Amino acid sequence: MKETAVIVLVAIGLFFALTAAVGMIRMPDVYTRIQCASKAVTLGAVPLLIALTIAQGPVTAYGGRSLLIAILLLVANPMASHALARAAYKTGVPMWRGAVADEPAERYAAEQRAAEQDEHRDAE
Amino acid sequence: MTTLYLAVCIAELAISAVLLVRVALGPSVSDRIVALNAMSTQATIAVLFFAAWGDRTVYLDVGLWLSSFSYLGALVWARYLERGLL
Repeated sequence: MKETAVIVLVAIGLFFALTAAVGMIRMPDVYTRIQCASKAVTLGAVPLLIALTIAQGPVTAYGGRSLLIAILLLVANPMASHALARAAYKTGVPMWRGAVADEPAERYAAEQRAAEQDEHRDAE
Repeated sequence: MTTLYLAVCIAELAISAVLLVRVALGPSVSDRIVALNAMSTQATIAVLFFAAWGDRTVYLDVGLWLSSFSYLGALVWARYLERGLL
């Protein structure tokens, strides 16, 4: 029973990790790649860590540490992906030419206008 | 079961080799950082499964260090790209 669960979880994890690697190569621009990579960590790494926890038991050194790392990844990885995507957008990495929506463009333009007006007022 | 650990470790290393292609090719800096971030997660898993395979608890701390510092590294890179060195 335990071994079946471990093997199923390892299969799921390795499948999603492989999908992520293929996506990182095949996806057309940085934003789709970020989406691909962050899904892969959530669905690829966490099942593998849970498999290790189940195989070794949660109160052993291996199980406890891998559970800790799984929680850390679940909390930290979306934040890192978000920060990287925003940095890529602000540094002007171009989107794929087939992209149909660019929602932050308007907001960033408005923010920039506001900043320029502030500078103008300061100068006066 | 221990053979499974070794298999997972080697598979994760192979997947990070595929991600290394994106680090080499990536047209922008952001591509490279994203690929490196994904690679370090795979390396964390590989180290953990290697520790379980060889029964060496020392490597568990390496895995914890890798996962937390790849997160910090991604945040620092994002900040650096947005507003430069401060």
